[in-house]
Amino acid sequence: MSSHIPLQLTMSLQTCWRCLSKTSKPPLFSLQHPLQSWLLLPATIAPFTTSASLAKQIVNSPKVPKKKKENNVLKVATGFRKKSKKPTDVGKGRRPAPGERKALRKRVVLSNTNALEVHGLQDIDAESMMNESFRGQVLGIPGRIVDRLRAVEAFKVPQGWALFRRPAMLMRKETLDFGREVEGIARDEKKKSIRRVYVGERGSGKSLMLLQAMTMAFLKDWVVINIPNAQDLISAQTEYGPVPDTTPTLYAQRNYTATLLSTIARSNPSLTDLQLTQPTNLSDIPIPIPPNISLARLASIGSSDPEIAWPIFQVLLSELKKPSRPPLMFCLDGLAHIMCDTRYIAPPEYKPIHAHDFTIIKSFLDHLSGAENLPNGGAILAATSNSNNPVIPSLDLALSQLRGNQTVERDPFAKYDERVLGVFNKGGVEVQTIGGITKEDARALMEYWAKSGVCRQRVDEGFVGEKWTLSGGGVVGELERAVIRMRV
Amino acid sequence: MPPPLQLLQTGRSIAVRSKGSRPTSYPIPLCLRLPQKRTITADEKPLLEAEQNPGPNQDQLPHVSEEAATTARITGEGGPEIEQGTPVQEVLKRDVKAQENAPQVIKNDTKSSKPKGTRSYSTSARHLAQTQSIINLGPAELEPSGHIYGLPDLPLPSTSHIKHRYDPVVKQVTNLLMQDGKLSVAQRNMAMILERLRTAPPPTADPRRPLVPGAPPTTHLPLNPILYLTLAIDSVAPLLRIRSQKGAAGGGVALQIPVPLGLRQRRRTAVMWILDAATKKPSKGSGRTMFAHRVADELISVVEGKSSVWERRGGVHRLGVASRANLTIRNRRRGK
Repeated sequence: MSSHIPLQLTMSLQTCWRCLSKTSKPPLFSLQHPLQSWLLLPATIAPFTTSASLAKQIVNSPKVPKKKKENNVLKVATGFRKKSKKPTDVGKGRRPAPGERKALRKRVVLSNTNALEVHGLQDIDAESMMNESFRGQVLGIPGRIVDRLRAVEAFKVPQGWALFRRPAMLMRKETLDFGREVEGIARDEKKKSIRRVYVGERGSGKSLMLLQAMTMAFLKDWVVINIPNAQDLISAQTEYGPVPDTTPTLYAQRNYTATLLSTIARSNPSLTDLQLTQPTNLSDIPIPIPPNISLARLASIGSSDPEIAWPIFQVLLSELKKPSRPPLMFCLDGLAHIMCDTRYIAPPEYKPIHAHDFTIIKSFLDHLSGAENLPNGGAILAATSNSNNPVIPSLDLALSQLRGNQTVERDPFAKYDERVLGVFNKGGVEVQTIGGITKEDARALMEYWAKSGVCRQRVDEGFVGEKWTLSGGGVVGELERAVIRMRV
Repeated sequence: MPPPLQLLQTGRSIAVRSKGSRPTSYPIPLCLRLPQKRTITADEKPLLEAEQNPGPNQDQLPHVSEEAATTARITGEGGPEIEQGTPVQEVLKRDVKAQENAPQVIKNDTKSSKPKGTRSYSTSARHLAQTQSIINLGPAELEPSGHIYGLPDLPLPSTSHIKHRYDPVVKQVTNLLMQDGKLSVAQRNMAMILERLRTAPPPTADPRRPLVPGAPPTTHLPLNPILYLTLAIDSVAPLLRIRSQKGAAGGGVALQIPVPLGLRQRRRTAVMWILDAATKKPSKGSGRTMFAHRVADELISVVEGKSSVWERRGGVHRLGVASRANLTIRNRRRGK
């Protein structure tokens, strides 16, 4: 019973949503299916809105007996009435359960058994990720890494993973450069930390660059925290509440934090070897945390109880910054979403809350801006998105200035947000543009597609040149559309 | 006199290359092959020779020199050269009167027949045989340099034309999927259908519902989604439709007359049936892929022989067989 996913009806009540029985124990994460997607945004009912109580009333209210016709005698025929048609969806069978359709939509398929297995496909490892001789080659992602990447939701639905036998990635220039940087952090005594924003055209591989970075971090046994879609944090789809004793008031997203903690525990097995060094403060975390427990256990305690999820997340971060801990990687996809007002509102003015007032976002941005540093080194990576992003003039201004374009002037008619500009004011944030791949890389990729049986044309110089040009100079997403999807 | 040079004709023959044979792993059935000959479209249709009216300059008397040449051929004398043009010196040789009136330069020139100066290049024409031996080299030796990607194989594939760049079946189905003239949405749906066909498990064929003869084994289909689509559509396409002619049976009763369908019409009917069946299916999930997935699932069930479209096809064929006797009516009337 405890293996079922608890549905949070109220803040303190844990109810299994299949059998509606209360759970006495926190759910064991080892019993859960390890490859569950969209876990970071579970279907919940926010307890502080009226919709939950209304829903409860509807559920709990006894059936209202139908009113009997009191006096048939007095009823006068009101003329000819057309009979209303009844909906004829009787024969359609079982209706989908709540969340089932969404689960199908968000399902990430990573394998296609119809595709051919590519012979001689090497797996990426800690050596090959920085070896220049692998430039322009496609390397497979090892299975254990795939599971962890799936746990942190690094794979996205529209990416073409479902077409191939197993996940693999192209070693492009940016990938190998990042691999060398990761290796440098491991060797360096000063424990440098990378703070970087990836920008680029739509489909150029920014999210995939994050995936490659996370792959390398997993290969090097770093601790990885990933926010796969920043829009989830601001679109008012997960519950929120004020954090006590904060001025200005901060807001915590307890359920999201709890699921993030469970993701961290599942995707980072190295946390089981790290122990809690300091006893927790009872004023922060009301329940006693046993000393010397592993950080994985700490995270799972936090994930089981959303009430203490945010304090435990803070403890976990501070523990990871203690000496002789592995480097930390903190990734976020869809940076523009966390640079504007959210869909959440707060009393007394009932105005939208700024995204920077949310705890998880604030924590990420503090690390990105350099307000908080990583003593053990690591990487804070963010990627912008071009397919679904709000227009943030201040972010555009800051990023273009950081890209070295100092001549960009403020638009006199645009509204600039000083909080957004303040993130990048302190310096140290790099902006890397992900452009198109070279023709050699494109050829390697297309040969891999041909070997997988997905591309049926003969891959020669003319074909590669044509498609490379069609894809706007090697924009990978467009290349994929031109070769695999559009004309087959 | 040396025969006239025909450089153009010899040059044209060089450009023709042998057509490279394409390796195929299994024979493609006849109905699935691309049409070898493209039908002439409206914008490139030439007018037939016989339909053209004679213009104002047609059927006139021949040119003076042509007439003179004809006369000379009949009489056996040396007439003017038509094909190449006659040099002045030759005309002067024939005509004594003209020799007297010729300009002084030509007179001097005819006296001293040999050229005085020397030229670094030859200006005399060569014999035809000699010329041909020079020009008729192998095509490999005449491979012109300066092309980055080389010359394309001739004849050009029909897909290289911008209007015919998609497979004919894919294009037809895309157009049938289209609603409200939104072609790009239809193309996206088409791409998602093909992707679904690629990733779905290979179908198991039902021997009671035979596919088009010569179809490859069904395990080969997912890697060639266009063939998969074509096979499903062609297998379930009806051979005929039933036209009901009003009052032909007498007493106001309509007469059922089977009418054969062309290839595109057959495919169109099949696709409309498949789309009908797909729209009636319930969606399993949500999102924009759902319609495409339903259509793809219907295509798969067609190949597996489970689709209700097979019954529709069988019904039309049964009715066609039952009403084949009515085919004679029209012919009998025409005979009268």
